[in-house]
Amino acid sequence: MNRKVLFIGLALVVPLLVFLAISFNYDPRYIESPLVGKEAPNFTLQSLDGEVVDLSALRGSPVVINFWATWCQPCIYEHPYLIELAKRYEGRAHFLGVIYQDEVANIERFLAQRGDWGKTLVDPAAEAAIAFGVYGAPETFVVDPDGMIVRKITSVIDPRSLSQLLNSML
Amino acid sequence: MNRGRIGIWMIVLLLASAVAGAQADLDERSLRLLGEPNGSPRSGAALERATEEVTSLMRCPVCQGLSVFDSGTPSALAMRAKAEVLLAAGYDEEQVLTYFETSYGEFIRLAPKPRGFNLFVWVVPAVFLLLGGWLILQRVRSKTAQEGAVEADAELEAYRERVRREVSE
Repeated sequence: MNRKVLFIGLALVVPLLVFLAISFNYDPRYIESPLVGKEAPNFTLQSLDGEVVDLSALRGSPVVINFWATWCQPCIYEHPYLIELAKRYEGRAHFLGVIYQDEVANIERFLAQRGDWGKTLVDPAAEAAIAFGVYGAPETFVVDPDGMIVRKITSVIDPRSLSQLLNSML
Repeated sequence: MNRGRIGIWMIVLLLASAVAGAQADLDERSLRLLGEPNGSPRSGAALERATEEVTSLMRCPVCQGLSVFDSGTPSALAMRAKAEVLLAAGYDEEQVLTYFETSYGEFIRLAPKPRGFNLFVWVVPAVFLLLGGWLILQRVRSKTAQEGAVEADAELEAYRERVRREVSE
């Protein structure tokens, strides 16, 4: 009887332990984007300075699209990195910021205080956020010169790896 | 219908009109992703009901285990508005879910499709239920057998006692 109980207990516990051991290798907050490796969804949005930006018109250069908000601490943290990267790749890559669930007035005030790093686009109906499957801010998508999404970065960007990726496309 | 719900529906209608008035690119995207609508255009109560049903099956991306229908976050309201636009155009429930799945992945479905690794989620509860039932059955049978054995022993002992008494007389 004890052997039977032991066998049943092991049959229940061992698969559970294996399942947990495998699961510990994954970040539960990370959700893989089905868009990586696929053509970026197009959008046509207006920037804060009134320019209409059509994503498909930017083909030929890499594009960094950053969904951000002023209420998001990681966005504030990565803001200086984006300023530096946008300077470094000026004329070679496009940097687009898409306002994610925030007021234009807040964004304008923030940018006036801390500086701008690219075109800031207004997404009033969240159509770009929905098309890119944004789960929260910040999320950054890197689009190659052919218009394909090559990477999705959740949370703060790593400037070194983003630079390496951009360099590989130039 | 309470005031809060009316407010939410007003925001949804506003967002829906914003989405409907948006650039043709997104409509092209819907067409490219989904093809022609499977159903006929909806409006009024039928549209409201269909929107409620489909958004109840969608996970709010910024919430903890809430459906898009149950959430009042700007993300969920925007998704509800987009779903309403698609449903109004005649896309059916599965097409609308596919549209969002293309961007967000299967995680957007509150109920994962029963295929591949997902089967684990569907099968394991049933397996555990069956296993638990089998264990209970085994336990009950074993107890019954033990009680039977004890009763049999008691009967035998009474018989032996009677035999001993008869022999000693």
